[in-house]
Amino acid sequence: MLLQIEDLTKVYRSGTRANDGISLSVDEGEVFGLLGHNGAGKTTLVNQVVGLLRPTSGSIRVDGRDMVANPGLARRLCSFQAQAQVPIDGLTPRQAIDLLGQMRGASRSEAQRRREHLIEALDLGEWLDEDAARLSGGVKRLVAFAMAAVVPGRLVMLDEPTNDVDPVRRRLLWRQVRTLADHGAAVLLVTHNVIEAERSVDRLAILDDGKVIAEGTPGELKGRLGAALRLELVLDPDAAEMPASPFGLSAVPVGNRLMIGVPMDAAGQAVAWAESLKAARSVEEFTLGPATLEDVYVALVGGADAARTQVEEVFDATAA
Amino acid sequence: MQLLRSYRLLVTWQALRKKNYLPLMLAVQTLFTLGIVLGYPLLFPTLDRTSIYLIATGAPAISMLSVGLVALPQTIGEQKTEGSLAYMRSLPVPRLAYLAADLTVWLAIVIPGVVLGVMVGAFRFGLDLQVSPLVVPAVLLVALTSACIGYAIASVLPYMLTVIITQAIVVFVFMFSPLTFLPSKLPAWLEVIHSVLPIQAMGEVTRGTIAPNEFGLPLGAFLTLAVWCVAGFGVTYAAMSRRA
Repeated sequence: MLLQIEDLTKVYRSGTRANDGISLSVDEGEVFGLLGHNGAGKTTLVNQVVGLLRPTSGSIRVDGRDMVANPGLARRLCSFQAQAQVPIDGLTPRQAIDLLGQMRGASRSEAQRRREHLIEALDLGEWLDEDAARLSGGVKRLVAFAMAAVVPGRLVMLDEPTNDVDPVRRRLLWRQVRTLADHGAAVLLVTHNVIEAERSVDRLAILDDGKVIAEGTPGELKGRLGAALRLELVLDPDAAEMPASPFGLSAVPVGNRLMIGVPMDAAGQAVAWAESLKAARSVEEFTLGPATLEDVYVALVGGADAARTQVEEVFDATAA
Repeated sequence: MQLLRSYRLLVTWQALRKKNYLPLMLAVQTLFTLGIVLGYPLLFPTLDRTSIYLIATGAPAISMLSVGLVALPQTIGEQKTEGSLAYMRSLPVPRLAYLAADLTVWLAIVIPGVVLGVMVGAFRFGLDLQVSPLVVPAVLLVALTSACIGYAIASVLPYMLTVIITQAIVVFVFMFSPLTFLPSKLPAWLEVIHSVLPIQAMGEVTRGTIAPNEFGLPLGAFLTLAVWCVAGFGVTYAAMSRRA
């Protein structure tokens, strides 16, 4: 494993336990997702790997070498796209990407060649020589990605890389993330966007309150839910009580909706039950579809936090 | 080798980042200098020869301090707050190269204002200055020391406190520091304080090299500045390398 994190704990001076005994590992060629709502401890984790924060306890190894003891080496082995916007006002994307490539050890011509490739792959050509101060948030985000990817480290860490990016370029970005892994980098991807993560990562860990509460491939995690389908009920606000699931599987309320896990062979039964609830006016409408990683996430992280995350996702999708 | 290469790349980076600052800084420094050179004769219509030289040579020192101890720490404080300093700290370059490059660019921003300040003073008072070649190291040392101290303040203190302290420094430098007057005019206790602080030494090396025929050049002042410069750099370097 290229990145090995063991029993990592970070307690801030304020007493906040942002990371609490986290262990995880990422291999070369792998895209590993770190999911969690805001404040779950994702950014604290990556900031420790890149040497901006010192862990309270635990170890971080990249390629077998101790990153806590060698923060300088950590910065050379890892390339990093931070959650905050990159401070490149005054520079053009061309200058910023070329300089970063050279700082990571490439010759000027190598950096230029890589930059040309990325600019084309991310369709950023029209902004190449624009002052970054005049770029939109999404374009700046893509430039920040290109800066992290121009000469990738052995480990590439991307903190919310798709924020503010338009849907078309999001796809281009995901393709480049996969290319990084295909060329041998270990990619640690931090996001709260569960839907995108499901399509893009090989494995993932769900972080809640500083702890890893689940880890595996998207398929494994969905399997753990025990339900291939998801029945979503939109509850009638005037209904007296919440319907009880007849399937003995997860039933998670999210706002005025109820998400219920349904086994594949009970699809017909589920539709009939939902129809009866609708006839009795306990629900306004329902949908039955395949279970998603989002359902796993909702089942694990639960009510209020999940609702908040979903609201963010809806907001993201609308903004995009 | 890696240090020099990183330094060169970071100077390019910071120069491009700050190129829009240059006109602003020049304007601020020019205003400071003009304010002093044109304003003092209004306050004191009859100025003796020494006072005129003190004002003409004190103005560039004040303009260097205004950048190093006020504009610079406020900028660094903003960078800390918005997270851009953390990004720069995550770059795969030695901390020493980063700090050296940033200070180099700050110096490059300050120096034109100093030259302009000296020229404005000499023109206003019709002075024939016999500038010493030592003015180059002197001005660099003054600018670097004030930048290092300003950097240290912003690196160690929270942003709001940095803003308050830098405002207090402006008043202290303008009104209560022996830059446009001689230290002997200060109350004894303040004179003692200024013998330890770097501001008086900044005034002494500036005027001692811009107008060497009028003022002596106390070598002790160079030493005082060197000590403050190293201390400021050391504190900044430690703060930049520190992991919370």
